[in-house]
Parts: sequence; structure tokens; C-alpha cells
Amino acid sequence: MKVEYINPFIESVHEMFTTMLSATVTRGEVGVSRGEADPKDIMALIGLSGTIRGMVAISFPVKTALAIVGRLLGTKHRVLDDTVSDAIAEVVNIVAGGAKAKLKIGDGPPIDLSLPTVVRGNSFSVDYPSKSVWLQVPFDSPLGNFSLRVIFENELRKA
Amino acid sequence: MKALVVDDSAVMRKVLIGALSRTNISDVDQAADGLEAVSAVKKGQYDLILMDWNMPNMLGIDAVREIRAAGCKTPIIMVTTEAERCRVIDALKAGANNYVIKPFEPTTIVAKIEEVLAKAAE
Repeated sequence: MKVEYINPFIESVHEMFTTMLSATVTRGEVGVSRGEADPKDIMALIGLSGTIRGMVAISFPVKTALAIVGRLLGTKHRVLDDTVSDAIAEVVNIVAGGAKAKLKIGDGPPIDLSLPTVVRGNSFSVDYPSKSVWLQVPFDSPLGNFSLRVIFENELRKA
Repeated sequence: MKALVVDDSAVMRKVLIGALSRTNISDVDQAADGLEAVSAVKKGQYDLILMDWNMPNMLGIDAVREIRAAGCKTPIIMVTTEAERCRVIDALKAGANNYVIKPFEPTTIVAKIEEVLAKAAE
């Protein structure tokens, strides 16, 4: 998997946080993950299919997740509940949606997104049935830190 | 005025209801997928519909087609992550009046709502 394929997702994270959360994010170095557990507390995943097949995941510590919900709704949120899961799912949906438009190949059909899935807890691994590895990017923001993971099945397919 | 907000994310529905309140629309019904939206439109009358695209049970674009096929002329704004030009064209062909891509700034969605309502009032 080429490292540059993660750039649209990084741009999309910036856009999401700037426009909807009025927060500027700073990113760390792109690294590789084999799917091992990420010591965060809540993760949202969404699948991509079509000319690209893969998955995007964003994981957050509780504190960041609560701050995001608070900023989105203009309220203080103190409990990791269904509202938080819903908000985190929407964040990954928006990030993946923005990235897939940037990844679209020529006049080919748009890449399709699955519905997002949210996992709570911090002692799980995320496997993917291919020889690819996850690319991982840590982010920091005024709302707290979080990390983005992206995996594609082999290379981009031709439309 | 009364609006219908259709999105499978309850948080996004709240965000959109907040935007509607800034245009003085506080009477709002909610639907969590396209099927619920079509059902709501058959039962009630709305001045505006905000419609997501990717939802379980029935996609937003299919709901737009059904709503138009039923003869409903209520203005519909698609509010979606589907940012490709061909998607926008598909939505407009299906009968949507306007299109907002997520993520959006609050001022953007408010302006778009006001624009669509002003056009409908002409």
C-alpha cells in the first residue's frame, strides 16, 4: 500500500475538524500497524468498496470523544453513551466520505462506503483478510488526541 | 414552517435541527432512514426536507425518488458526505433542490436553507 493513499484521509480529518468542530489538528508521523490494539477507548470503522477496497478507522480516548460530542452539540457530555458512539461514527463517515471523493479515479464510479461500526473498549485487535498493513497517523487537537488508521486491499483497482 | 430532518445519525439530526432553529424553523420531525422519511412525508406536510444519502433500509436518494414519485413538491436539500460531482447530478436528477456536502460550517447550511426557502416562496 502506497503511503500517499493516506493523504486524502489526512486532508479530510483536517477539513472535518476545521469546519464542524472549529478545531485545528496537528498530525504526527505516518507509521505502520499490524492491527494490534490501540490504547484508545472508542473506535469507529467504515469500509470502502468499489475501485478501492479497504477500511478506515479512527480511535479516540474517552476525553477526546466527549469533547467532540460537546463541541458538535454545544453541550457538556460526561458519559460514554450511544450519543458518543453516534457522533464518533459520523466523524469517521464524514472523513471517509471526503477522502473517497479525492481518491476517485477519473470518470470511474464513486467508491462506496459501508455504514460505520463503533467498538468501545481498548483491548482488541483489528485484523483484515489481506497481506496489507494498516497505516496509522496520530493527531492532536484542542479537543484531545486521536489516531487515524487506513488499510487498502492490495493496490488501487482500475475503474 | 415545518421541516423533516432525515439522517441515521441522531447527533447529525441535532446539529441540523440547531441550524434550522437559526432560520426560525423550530417545528421539526425526524426520520432515521429513507423508509421513515417516505412514511413521514405521506402522513405530514413539510416546508423543507433535509436528506442524508447513506442510511440503512433505504438510501436518501431512493427516498427522494419515492417522495417525488408521490407528487410531493417540498424542497429537499441533500446533506451528505457524497461529494463526487456525479452524485450531485444524480441527486438533482432524482428531484433534490440543493446539495450540501459534509463537513459544513454552520453558516453554510443556514445560508443554503434560507436560499432554498426563499426560492420556494417565489
